[in-house]
Amino acid sequence: MDNNDSLIFEKGVGRAQKNFIPKMDVDGEKLEDILPKNLLRDVLPIPDVPEVEIVRHYVKLSTINYGVDSGIYPLGSCTMKYNPKINEIVVRLNEFSQIHPLQDENEGSLELLYNISIMLSEITGMDGFTLQPAAGAHGELVGMLIIKKYFETKGIIKDKIIVPDSAHGTNPASAKMAGFSIIELQSNEYGEISLDHLEFAMQQGDVAGIMLTNPNTLGVFDRQIKDITKIVHKHDGLCYYDGANLNPMLGICRPRDMGFDIVHLNLHKTFSTPHGGGGPGSGPVGVINELISFLPKPYIISTDDSIVCEQNNDKSIGRIKAFWGNFGVILRAYTYILSLGADGLKRVGQIAVLNANYLKCLLQKKYELPYNRRCQHEFVLSDKNLPNDITTEDVAKRILDYGYYSPTIYFPLIVNGAIMIEPTETESKHSLDKFVEAMLKIFDEALNKPELLKTAPHNTPIGRLDAVIAARKPVLHD
Amino acid sequence: MDFVPHDDKTITEMLKVIGINNLEELFQDIPKDLIINRLNLPLGLSEPDVLKNVKKLSQKNRVYSNSFLGAGYYFHYIPSLVDFVISRTEFYTSYTPYQAEASQGYLQAMYEYQSIISRLTQMDVANASMYDGSTALAEAAIMATLITRKNRLLLLEGIHPEYSEVVKTYCWGQGINLKIIAENKLIDELNQDIAAVLFQSPNFFGDIEDVLMLAKKVKEKAPNCLLIQCMTDPTCLGVLKPPGETNVDIFVAEGQSFGISPSFGGPGLGIFAAKKKYLRKMPGRLVGKTKEINGEREGFLLTLQAREQHIRREKASSNICSNQALCSLSALIYLISLGKTGLREIASQNFQKANYVKNKLTEIPGYEILNKKPTYNEFIVKCPDVDALTHECKQLDLLPPLRLSKYFPNLKNIALVCVTEMNSRESIEKFINAAKNVLHNKKEGKK
Repeated sequence: MDNNDSLIFEKGVGRAQKNFIPKMDVDGEKLEDILPKNLLRDVLPIPDVPEVEIVRHYVKLSTINYGVDSGIYPLGSCTMKYNPKINEIVVRLNEFSQIHPLQDENEGSLELLYNISIMLSEITGMDGFTLQPAAGAHGELVGMLIIKKYFETKGIIKDKIIVPDSAHGTNPASAKMAGFSIIELQSNEYGEISLDHLEFAMQQGDVAGIMLTNPNTLGVFDRQIKDITKIVHKHDGLCYYDGANLNPMLGICRPRDMGFDIVHLNLHKTFSTPHGGGGPGSGPVGVINELISFLPKPYIISTDDSIVCEQNNDKSIGRIKAFWGNFGVILRAYTYILSLGADGLKRVGQIAVLNANYLKCLLQKKYELPYNRRCQHEFVLSDKNLPNDITTEDVAKRILDYGYYSPTIYFPLIVNGAIMIEPTETESKHSLDKFVEAMLKIFDEALNKPELLKTAPHNTPIGRLDAVIAARKPVLHD
Repeated sequence: MDFVPHDDKTITEMLKVIGINNLEELFQDIPKDLIINRLNLPLGLSEPDVLKNVKKLSQKNRVYSNSFLGAGYYFHYIPSLVDFVISRTEFYTSYTPYQAEASQGYLQAMYEYQSIISRLTQMDVANASMYDGSTALAEAAIMATLITRKNRLLLLEGIHPEYSEVVKTYCWGQGINLKIIAENKLIDELNQDIAAVLFQSPNFFGDIEDVLMLAKKVKEKAPNCLLIQCMTDPTCLGVLKPPGETNVDIFVAEGQSFGISPSFGGPGLGIFAAKKKYLRKMPGRLVGKTKEINGEREGFLLTLQAREQHIRREKASSNICSNQALCSLSALIYLISLGKTGLREIASQNFQKANYVKNKLTEIPGYEILNKKPTYNEFIVKCPDVDALTHECKQLDLLPPLRLSKYFPNLKNIALVCVTEMNSRESIEKFINAAKNVLHNKKEGKK
């Protein structure tokens, strides 16, 4: 398909478009009489485009875009599961979509927020949740601010956070935004935390806590997790759980039981809300009892006869977003949890891990698997076996030719040329088999027809793009 | 219900390939005492039962026939094609477009979004979105400290109180010194150590600032100090002079007014734009136009990613990863659907209708408009009894205006009224009647 299509701005016509302007039914004064001329704008370079042209333009663009509904989307650490359609129906109910964040008579919305915070507490084992954070990284920032405030309140100075080298990039960036400096901890040969290194770091006395994801970004469960959290607690640190990888743990085990004090969840990963091309997300943060008073405002509580916001709490880290959080996203996740229930959620955990291990077993026949262990939701291949100077990027681009989306590449940083694959529980065996077939074929092509990979993709709307020029001379708008 | 496709036979086959006998063995790395028996949640429900359950909850909310409430979130008309486009599953079920060649559709749309924001604001560059207006403002504040390498900020009263609180939290996190001051104290407080002045226009109370004049004042006293403007209802840009023409350095706004339903306050859209010289300190994703390596065709990709956390980790300009992509798509479709004609007309109607209500209220004894500057679609009015006005509005099925005492306990009996193009003459007459009824009832009460 030809992508060389004009931008929407070139589809304007001379005729003024007035389809969306309600009738002006009061006697309005002239603008010039209400406003001084120096406050008014002159040009407004946005064309008038007929509705039919707009619809065709964006329908066409949608056809050159790949989503979960197009096929397998094996992006590691992104949990690209199927997004149930009922979720899209409930968010469009007027009694949810047309509610103003500052209005009274909002009991339905508040009750929903309260209900889901109880459900998430049960799923993670935590005692209280805030639903304010707009995304995972935003939740991480909230978690780090809670740790900061906790020690500030106690009058203790601890200004460092431990982050393993396998962590998501957001972890160190979030800790830094809360004013911490970072101690990076090297993973051991099993992809796990080295207890000796951890003990040594904690002994310095200025470490406020650790940020961990478990299973980690290699997709493996850290078997010493209880010892890790014990060591951190022994030195008066707090343990933060990055819930980006919670999906395989649903109904199987809980961050609280592993010893974590704070956890953030990604409702747009684990709880099926669509990623929307990069957002909106939602990143609720759960804490143990001792930390509830540090949660951001407003914190929703249940009293004898209603659900209300707790107003007076001077320990709170403060407000981190206007209003109530990404309610529309939270509502979808609520619908998902109701749909699946205890039984369905456990099945998610089980089948997410089954699918990942199945793929891993079939792909490691040809691709190098540096951490060869039982994986959980995902696993990471390296570029070690790739012949003829074929790079991970070449493989990723060739996958697009087979009509699939590519895995996450070059992450985690501790694996050379990482190819990180997370199939999720919603892929059928047939879908997984087809993907394996393509991947193995690509490996053969790498051996026999390397040029095919070097110049891939060939079957996409456009060929491989020049990222270097794009960064050197940025063109960011027309 | 669940969305797992396998039957038992398939599961057995797959287990065999893996070389294990049952699903439990998949979790052999997890210490036994961490494995839970089952979650204490109800069993799953079928789709009709879920729908019944959620609908029942929704009935506890009240939808009004018309609204006079704004204060950061607004009721504007949303063209039908907005929801049509964002419901294309190729868009909404996709992820951040890391693989550009399979994501050209969305990337082009994001590029068009950046373009339309640049055109609307006349700012040099806009990013692909932030979480919302409040966090965009906080990130702009941090960005200013990175650019100027100064650690002090001045925030003018008149910024949405919830936004001020968010900025305060972010600044506390990074040890940035933030001072909230009245506008008439600005010149006294300004000096060479200030990284930026943050202000809102039209402000929380509705006042439209003369930004050009403000910029002149600031730059005269402190030439290197940045000017950061925020806005909660950018539909006003249909007629107001844009920030790019008033020497604003960083412009942020809540974009909910652009085709996004209120949904109890989220998801909305953080609009973020800046002068070009600050590009490399900007937070958030950017889409750029480039060419094929082995061809001549133009295409789009995520660019300047070296600013971002997944490359720079703790040295990134922000920790932001997920943004509000789908909401920026809504904004794009909204803005292009209205076009310049529609945007001008909508903004004009907001001005004219709000001004009409202002004049009508002034005619009622006991009501006094408190704004000294021109206003857009919001203004503050001193009322004889704001609680009674609230009650009267609800009786007439009108969503009442904000009582300012919610945020400013000392400001009693003042309402922040919002009037948009959605307020028909009929609803306006009802509102004026509500305001009159308050007086009438007071008199009755006295007798």
